[in-house]
Amino acid sequence: MKRPAANNIGSALREAGISRRDFLGFCATLAAAYALPAASVGAIAAALEKAPRASVIWLSFQECTGCTESLTRSHAPTIEGLILEQISLDYHHTLQAAAGEAAEQARMEAMRANAGKYLLIVDGSVPLGNAGYSTIAGVSNVDMLKEVAQGAAAVIAVGTCAAYGGIPAAQPNPTGAVPVSAVINDKPIVNVPGCPPIPVVITGVLAHFLTFGGLPELDDLGRPKIFYGESIHDRCYRRPFYDQGKFAETFDDEGARRGWCLFKLGCKGPVTYNACATTKWNNGVSFPIQSGHGCLGCSQPGFWDMGPFYKALSMPTANVEKAAGIAAAAGVAAGAAMAVANRGKKAAAKAAHAPVTVEDLEKKP
Amino acid sequence: MTATFERGINSFKEVLDAPIASFFASCVHCGLCAESCLFYTETGDPQYTPVHKLEPLRRTWFQEYTLLGKLAKAAGLSKSVTDAELAAWEPLVYDSCTMCGRCSMVCPVGNDLTYAIRKMREGMAAAGHAPEGLVTATTRAIVAGSPAGVKWVTVQAQIKHMEKQFGIEIPVNQAHVDYLVLMSSWEILNYPEYLGAVSRIFKQAGATWTLSEHAYEATNSGIQIGVSDLARELVGRIVKAAEDLEVKCVISPECGHAYTAIRWEGPNLMGRSFGFEVKHILEVIDELHASGRIKLKGTLDKPQTYHDPCQISRRGGVYEQPRKLLKEIAPQFREMKDTGTMNWCCGGGGGVGANERAEPLKLISFKRKKAQIEELGVDTLVTACANCRVTIEEALEHYHMDVEMLGLTELVADHLEENPS
Repeated sequence: MKRPAANNIGSALREAGISRRDFLGFCATLAAAYALPAASVGAIAAALEKAPRASVIWLSFQECTGCTESLTRSHAPTIEGLILEQISLDYHHTLQAAAGEAAEQARMEAMRANAGKYLLIVDGSVPLGNAGYSTIAGVSNVDMLKEVAQGAAAVIAVGTCAAYGGIPAAQPNPTGAVPVSAVINDKPIVNVPGCPPIPVVITGVLAHFLTFGGLPELDDLGRPKIFYGESIHDRCYRRPFYDQGKFAETFDDEGARRGWCLFKLGCKGPVTYNACATTKWNNGVSFPIQSGHGCLGCSQPGFWDMGPFYKALSMPTANVEKAAGIAAAAGVAAGAAMAVANRGKKAAAKAAHAPVTVEDLEKKP
Repeated sequence: MTATFERGINSFKEVLDAPIASFFASCVHCGLCAESCLFYTETGDPQYTPVHKLEPLRRTWFQEYTLLGKLAKAAGLSKSVTDAELAAWEPLVYDSCTMCGRCSMVCPVGNDLTYAIRKMREGMAAAGHAPEGLVTATTRAIVAGSPAGVKWVTVQAQIKHMEKQFGIEIPVNQAHVDYLVLMSSWEILNYPEYLGAVSRIFKQAGATWTLSEHAYEATNSGIQIGVSDLARELVGRIVKAAEDLEVKCVISPECGHAYTAIRWEGPNLMGRSFGFEVKHILEVIDELHASGRIKLKGTLDKPQTYHDPCQISRRGGVYEQPRKLLKEIAPQFREMKDTGTMNWCCGGGGGVGANERAEPLKLISFKRKKAQIEELGVDTLVTACANCRVTIEEALEHYHMDVEMLGLTELVADHLEENPS
């Protein structure tokens, strides 16, 4: 693949025709995403500009190349894509020009030259069932993953397949697909799930690594909290309709036309944590719910096995009103019984009250 | 009978009503009440956090009246209140609370902690954990007719002094008059000029009024110590005298807690409304002034301010009247920062003044008022509560401050326009 002559990101970006204004815009987005003060934009820009080429090796296993497409084609040429493609990438099946022996040689060379310092990005799941399901240059995915991960500073599992198994791991999982975290357990792993993930999330993690020299804070599913800290539902612009109980019942009813909540049409927004509702897609143009379709929950573990796409979450299966009515009545009865008991106790206390006289005020032994 | 721990706990169960239960249930533990209490702000001691002073009462509520509390008590997870605990809480409930009501103003969920302290004192007194000074004062109030032991003959002597000084006859035991005038012990003993001032104002206004030999004392130690049985007896004396004389209105003197006792607690203690109105002397003076029955002249040419008595301004709602009157006669009036309903207490109300043990703490708590006075740079402090006046005068001596205290009623009397045309 093409190697830029420049040896730092700043000059490489300028060679690629990215204006400083665009670059600062990208830095401001990152600062906002990481909840840093506005004054830190300059500091991020300075750090990123001077950052030496961080070597990145991208391995693609059982995947559809959607993650790469997301990064490079969504609104080309993106600054996110350029940072990865032109500045850092030493090995990437899809993007590199080299093929065959030369390609593998580039990987080996990058691993040797940057041992212990390079970042490993993986998309796609790893089949453990039969090595033959997915091989690259005759090497099984699991062997290649172990080999490259050994010298990596950290592993970024891009896409739901690499993070949680995704479609290959869906029932009945014929290839025995597992996520990266099931194979590698001695390196820090950042999961950037999504089918595909949002481009800025991928580069955001990379930029964090370059700027701060470490990985961002992760949630209990290994995702950067800054991008996956809140549910789609909580940040959805249709949320007020949910609160008001205004739902689209079908995709062509009045509610759908009015842009009401898609909960009843199976939207998985309430159980899905991602930044779609805030950063949106295609340069901030839209996201699925804005286009009239519910969230599929693609950034969650068990995606594809979470039930039908168009079945609403936690729709009551039995006569919930009746059950709630009985429970409420029981609660009221218990409360009333308690009140009667308390009233009795207070009345007893009142009955036991002997008028206090001045003689009483002295406590006598 | 004597005071016993069991009687105290029984009393706790008795006073725990819906308001107090809702206060305890809704407390969000924000601690704002601490910052509003001068016993906390002047000492920095967290035990003086107002809601903490209610802890034994809160636990009684929790264990006796809530499901969780009943279970916790049964499982031994919540310890029962003990006599030793009540003894330990006595200084918190009596010495470090003047029932000034400032904490009730700041509570974000609207809990009237002052009301709860008042109720908690019922149990404390029934358990024999009321301070000695307050017990003595209450005993004297019941037995002798006044917490300071003032007898009617003392009042008669002061009547003679005042009649001689101002040349105005002071009516006694007159029926069918407009006003029955009450006094507090401090006014009878320390500030008899109050009586003279009232006689001058009513003469000017042409109002009919009287004193009663059966009800001259307005302060109610029963409320301060927290014994409703005794408070009822003391209020009952006033109500009987007023209804026997068939007066139209009973005037609470320049004494804060007396006003609370007769006006707000009185009808609740008696369980009925009165056949007469109850007003604070400042309300009456303001009405007479507003209707033109008295006119004011001359000015007090000294920088001065007004100390709001808690029970009159905050708990009683009488804070505009003194300012209207002062506006007429005091062009150099300056307002303190925290004033009106958010004033700071003098530190001696709610029975603290009668409790000798509380004296050192009372003087420490005065530092807040001291700072307020010094910030304004005034040398005259006007107020309308004899108890505030005594507390502040003593503290001014203690801190060697050269500030003069004036009662507003006397100040008004000194600025009456005689025979306005």
